[in-house]
Amino acid sequence: MDIAIEVKNLRKDFVLARQSQRLRAVDDLSFQVNTGSVFGLLGPNGSGKSTTIKAILGMLNPDKGECLIEGISSKKRESRARIGYLPEGPYYYKFMEGLEFVSLVGQLGGLTKLESVSRGEELMDLVGLQDACDRRISGYSKGMLQRLGLAQALVNDPSILILDEPTAGVDPVGAVDIANIIGGLKNRGKTILLCSHLLSQVETVCDEVAVLNKGNLVASGKIDELLVAGNEYMEIPECSLEATQRIEAILSEEGQSLVKRRDRKSLEQLFIELTQEEE
Amino acid sequence: MNEKLNLSFWNMRHAWLIGKTSYLETVRMKLFYALLALSLFSLGCSFLLQEFNFGSDELKFIMDFGFGGMTFFGSILAIVTASQLFYGEIEDRTVFTILAKPIRRSEFVVGKFIGAWFCIVSFVLCLTLCLMLSLFVRESILMSQYPEVFSEGRLLNYLDVLGFGFMQCVRLGMLGSIVILFSSYATSSLFSIIIGVVTWILGQLQHLAVNAWGQYDSLFLNTILFIVSIALPNFHLYDFGDKIALGESASISVYLQLVGYGALYCALYLSLAVLSFREREL
Ligand SMILES: Nc1ncnc2c1ncn2[C@@H]1O[C@H](COP(=O)(O)OP(=O)(O)O)[C@@H](O)[C@H]1O
Ligand SMILES: [Mg+2]
Repeated sequence: MDIAIEVKNLRKDFVLARQSQRLRAVDDLSFQVNTGSVFGLLGPNGSGKSTTIKAILGMLNPDKGECLIEGISSKKRESRARIGYLPEGPYYYKFMEGLEFVSLVGQLGGLTKLESVSRGEELMDLVGLQDACDRRISGYSKGMLQRLGLAQALVNDPSILILDEPTAGVDPVGAVDIANIIGGLKNRGKTILLCSHLLSQVETVCDEVAVLNKGNLVASGKIDELLVAGNEYMEIPECSLEATQRIEAILSEEGQSLVKRRDRKSLEQLFIELTQEEE
Repeated sequence: MNEKLNLSFWNMRHAWLIGKTSYLETVRMKLFYALLALSLFSLGCSFLLQEFNFGSDELKFIMDFGFGGMTFFGSILAIVTASQLFYGEIEDRTVFTILAKPIRRSEFVVGKFIGAWFCIVSFVLCLTLCLMLSLFVRESILMSQYPEVFSEGRLLNYLDVLGFGFMQCVRLGMLGSIVILFSSYATSSLFSIIIGVVTWILGQLQHLAVNAWGQYDSLFLNTILFIVSIALPNFHLYDFGDKIALGESASISVYLQLVGYGALYCALYLSLAVLSFREREL
């Protein structure tokens, strides 16, 4: 399997202005993202996720180690030719209109003006901003900004997507939309590196994850392997009282009893159902 | 294939796109219009002071006033826009989206300069045209009042007013490129603006430093004078407005020298800005 992104022994220190001490934001981090997979970089706030991503994009000089994109060092400009990036934030030119901005990014990535506008319209549609194309970005809500960020990241049809907290500030319905878009991109063979601290959202889309804490890698691997289940439970379908009693009797012979649990909706599910119905 | 080709050469289109966008930013800024309104207001005041009845001196007065406003407000505009376009972009974190594209840092720097300079040119052009119009209107009125003074036709050479305007664009371009240089390693926009103002003042006094250099015993003072003389352009060279107001025309070769001088300094400052911005972490 081809490797799309490779991070090798990455270390990054920041010099803190006041105390003449250094802060190790990332320490000896190594991982690989396979082509066509969705890789989640997880960890609490300040664990070094964004720092790692900036090093991958060549915006920071590593103190040690290196990052390679499709085999090309991040220090080289060419490494960024096939990348779409959604920065943390999100911060975009407030004085521009949505579509105008997506088109600018498209042109900077090599599209002609016409191409970039038609591609931009498509993407604004995809992310659900079709009605906000000619509104100033200064008037966008945070959720809209994230969607705009996704649109600009996709405009040059990149093969690798790097998404820094794509669902931060987006409501649960929007987060599901974004997760669906990411799923769709994966099906089209894109490689996706996303980082997040919202774990339940990551779980549904990621193939592999790496967990960072204070700049150190604390766990990594296939998500199914990491989340090995504790106990295995069996489900008894809806049946007569008599049947249940007989099962209980058999269990009590072995000194066991039935464990009863009732499914509870998550608040998130409820929220999604309620708001979805209204439409 | 095409994409590969674009990547290997310095890409003017990138700089141009960034420049166009930056220009858009400046003309959507309130400051641009506020300064324009202020300068036009001061020009209007000088125009309305006709009750004093200065006669043909009045034209010189309007011209002085117009030139003064153009350089003063233009300098403020140049400092603030260059700092806002360059440092502001880092501060607002909008730079990430742009630099995540396969773009050279030098293309970014040049793009920002293009944007700032176009803003300066638009500003100066507006003011120059308004000044020429005021002068023309006033001169026509004076001509009918004092036909004897204007027996040989109009006194003013309007081309020189236009030339002066263009020279101010060159001068303010240098100021803008210095601010871009400082913004490339600034860590606050206040710093880059203050440095911009200090440079503006020092540049205005640079010719004094050149003259004074070597005349003092203090090594420290001499070193400072030497640095100021070498590192800063002589902005004073561009203050030839009073000569024009006195009716002297500047020759083509003076204009060419001033343009060349300005272009050299801009190129120097922008090259240094590229060197420092390349190393900058975002
Ligand atoms: N430019 C910087 N200067 C100093 N410290 C920084 C800088 N960028 C990040 N840090 C520090 O590095 C650590 C990791 O930050 P970051 O990578 O942004 O975390 P995350 O994205 O996981 O929330 C944090 O403690 C942060 O304060
Ligand atoms: Mg982060």
